[in-house]
Amino acid sequence: MNESQHLSSQFDEELSRLRTHVLQMGGLVETQVSAAIDAYSTGEIASVKTIVETDRKVNELEKAIDDDCAHIIAKRQPTASDLRLVLGISKIVTDLERAGDEAKKIAKGVRRIYENGHMPSQYGVGIRHLAEAALTMVREALDAFARLDTVQATEVIRADSEVDTEFKSIIRQLITHMMEDPRTITTAIDIISIARAIERIGDHAKNVSEQVVYVVEGRDIRHTKELIK
Amino acid sequence: MTAQVIRALLLALLSIVVALPVGHFYAPWAGWVVFCGGLGLQMLFHFRNFARLDRWSRAPVVDSSLEGEGAWDGIFGRLYRHEKDLRAQIARRDAEIAMLIAAGQALTDGVVLLDNQNQILFCNTTAEMQLGLVVKTDRGQPVVNLVRQPEFVAYLTDEDFSRPLTLRSDRNEDRVLSIYVIPYAGDRRLMQIKDVTQTDRLDRMRRDFVANVSHELRTPLTVLAGFLETLQEIEVDREEQARYLAMMSEQSLRMQSIVQDLLTLSSIESAPPPDNEPVDMVNMIDKLRRDAEALSAGRHTVVVETDGQGDLRGSEPELVSAFANLVSNAVRYTPPGGTIRISWRASSQGAEFAVQDTGIGIDPKHIPRLTERFYRVDRGRSRDAGGTGLGLAIVKHSLSRHQAQLDIKSTPGLGSRFAARFPASRVAGI
Repeated sequence: MNESQHLSSQFDEELSRLRTHVLQMGGLVETQVSAAIDAYSTGEIASVKTIVETDRKVNELEKAIDDDCAHIIAKRQPTASDLRLVLGISKIVTDLERAGDEAKKIAKGVRRIYENGHMPSQYGVGIRHLAEAALTMVREALDAFARLDTVQATEVIRADSEVDTEFKSIIRQLITHMMEDPRTITTAIDIISIARAIERIGDHAKNVSEQVVYVVEGRDIRHTKELIK
Repeated sequence: MTAQVIRALLLALLSIVVALPVGHFYAPWAGWVVFCGGLGLQMLFHFRNFARLDRWSRAPVVDSSLEGEGAWDGIFGRLYRHEKDLRAQIARRDAEIAMLIAAGQALTDGVVLLDNQNQILFCNTTAEMQLGLVVKTDRGQPVVNLVRQPEFVAYLTDEDFSRPLTLRSDRNEDRVLSIYVIPYAGDRRLMQIKDVTQTDRLDRMRRDFVANVSHELRTPLTVLAGFLETLQEIEVDREEQARYLAMMSEQSLRMQSIVQDLLTLSSIESAPPPDNEPVDMVNMIDKLRRDAEALSAGRHTVVVETDGQGDLRGSEPELVSAFANLVSNAVRYTPPGGTIRISWRASSQGAEFAVQDTGIGIDPKHIPRLTERFYRVDRGRSRDAGGTGLGLAIVKHSLSRHQAQLDIKSTPGLGSRFAARFPASRVAGI
């Protein structure tokens, strides 16, 4: 009795440490995304290097966490909610790592634009708004994971469709600009890729939230319209 | 205690005294029955009290008092008093703890208590707002799970708390927090969080101001020095010389206007409060319109919107210079063909002077810093337009001396609206 209690509390500690690692990785991704947005609005290309370096750390953490997950499954053979947590985590880290990659893409796109000249100011507000929305989604998805709060997770999933709509309207606006003045095409293409990356970050945040619902309720809501009741 | 024993023995003796004659005269078994009956009665009495105690101990309540019979009464009374004292003590402690927590809540600094695993034990409302925590659900959660900024995580794990950590909050835009970690009670930690946004801003403004003044003055000075050197070292013909001198005088005029603006600013800052004389607004608006048209030279449409009601109370020169500044900004930052709208409205609640343009507009992120000295949205453009970077700082100062607010609304590409709102006390003739 005593022995098994001791073992299980050690196991709980392992799980809690694993969660903290995931959230730390999430913290790195959050800073990456917000630094990328800052670089976009201020044009400080120096931070691009930091973002790329952070990405290396994120990648390392992803590998380490995956390793830990495999260890826990092999050693502890978790069941029920513990198993779901471990499985969920191994998917969440993939999404976080990809969100980090998208942040890197944004940073590189920003560098390209500023190196070729000026950032056209008319796109600034729209893109920044989109990016803030995506960043909020990432933050709230991670909060939902920390608190295992399915209500907040559901909200993030809902917010994704707003980000998608906004993304589409930015693309429409850019297409109009390109048709009016073909000289803007080079920059516009870069801006499209930035907007696309932001939209993808939103998608990854949504995936993380879906995993939170899976971890807590055991319900797989990917690719379903179950939430939008 | 001994009294109880003697009493029990006496009762037993009494049973014997009654039982002996019964056993002797009637039948021995009857004697035994009487004796056992006597003892049984005694046992029954004790058992009843025991049952009472048993019932009470399962749910000790102090409002219905615990009463026993005979020897049990004393014991019950002591137990009851003990329970009551304990409860009063607990209630007192509870009140004390509640008071301490209330004091913690009342602090304007954020406070978070952490255990040895950095898990949250307590945090006050200020900390909840600063860090985005919810104490109800987050108790027991490692704080780094929710405050995930890498600088913070590193600070907490490095365990070097000799200096506070300055953290730009990612949840509340632009809040700057200064975090102190103080170990207490062995391995627990107290996190004290101060909001230093204002101090940080002032520091930055002061740094920027000195750097900007030197920069702004150095640029024309470099040009001047360069030309002087050229004129001293190289023979140049008359025409060239005249051109150089023209440029030099242009630069010295620039320096002069910067110094002039700085002096204006410092004189406004140290001047006594503005007087209360009524200023004729109809006249002033008309003059502003003429100035705008002169500056625009027919490239813009200038529209005046006013019903001619109400005047302002204050210092005329300061108000004229502030309003003229807003109007000339509007002309300078509006491409040809645009419209400048000057409006004046007064009522018994207050008055508003506004200048609206269809110019290039200002990105929202610049608006809060627009009235800082030498703050420039676009360095090149502003200097080409002949600005010193002090205009809006002077406007804001003059207006705030008249208790007026400067309200700036702008959409990039569509235009801006600068409005000065005066309180009722500054309005005359309504």
